Amino acid sequence: MRGPEAVRLAAALGAIEMALVRRDLVVGPLLAQAARAARETDIAPLLICAAEQTRADDFFADTPPAIARRKMTQALCRAAAHEVHAELLVMTGIEMGAS
Amino acid sequence: MRLFGTDTELLEEAGCDVGRIAECERGLVAGLLEGPRADIHVHIGRDQDGHELDVQGLLADMDAWGIRRTVIFAPNDPGAHHDFADANATVRRSAAVAPARLMHFCRVDPEVSALSVMEEAAAHGACGLKLHPVAQGRAPESAASIACVRRATEFGWPVIVHAGFGARALADPLLHVLDAVPGARLILAHGARGDARAVCAALADHPGVWFDTSLATLSDLVILPRERLIFGTDRPYGDHATALQLIGLAARLAQWSEADVRRVLVGNFDHILGV
Repeated sequence: MRGPEAVRLAAALGAIEMALVRRDLVVGPLLAQAARAARETDIAPLLICAAEQTRADDFFADTPPAIARRKMTQALCRAAAHEVHAELLVMTGIEMGAS
Repeated sequence: MRLFGTDTELLEEAGCDVGRIAECERGLVAGLLEGPRADIHVHIGRDQDGHELDVQGLLADMDAWGIRRTVIFAPNDPGAHHDFADANATVRRSAAVAPARLMHFCRVDPEVSALSVMEEAAAHGACGLKLHPVAQGRAPESAASIACVRRATEFGWPVIVHAGFGARALADPLLHVLDAVPGARLILAHGARGDARAVCAALADHPGVWFDTSLATLSDLVILPRERLIFGTDRPYGDHATALQLIGLAARLAQWSEADVRRVLVGNFDHILGV
């Protein structure tokens, strides 16, 4: 992952996290965009899988299956965000390992 | 079978591609140190916001992820009298299902019968206190909150304090609490992400302060002292897979030794809970 991709994805995943919590309809388009941005990176499978979840007609429903699907989407996005943050930390050379 | 803490039957009913999700989940923890693990942050019951987890689901997750012990406490379900009586009772009953594996903390609203709720919990085997200053709208440095921390410390209990989303400035209020109750042991949830820079600067080396890793940010975990980190998931808001992924990434980036990883995953939990 190159620097601009990591920054783009970190920004997108932050917005997606909030949109998921708020059940904002923008989740689907944002995730589709993030999945395209992640193409050929290690996190592409996570984001493609997450984006597919949002295509369900009942994605924002209050039924147990829909809630489970949203939780899955959230977990996949969280996993992708962790990976992107790791890339950014390596790129920025932040001082780590305090002890 | 469960994926990210959810029954696969439910996911299949939702039309999810369970095989692909399972593949994604497996990939997150590849290479993470095997061995015993313990989880300091799980809610049992049903939150007002709809998140829920029962003891059977938790035990299934613990078996799947090699979690030896878990600390459980109530979600934000204060009940009609705002005293968490029913929610704490649910947690106690749940802990009784697997007493060797589940340790229970008492949750209170510091302004609502908190000390008597804590006495009852202690009589029923609770071993810690959970405070959520944001959900209950009580400042951690308020007289009522400090009274709870003081009583918990007299019981020998650690106190988990929500320090994540929605938290206001925490460093000075927590210093005030620690000055008022010098023997207190505070576990700041979510790596204190709500005010991480200030907390880290003011409190990271304070002997009474620990950090749980549940839903923490990687950028905080790599700079917090690893000897003060305790693994947590924040189920049902978080999940075991991404919680363990976070530990694996922090360990790699901050060059934790195997002993460091073991300490974070189980050793610090055992130390603070005396098991």
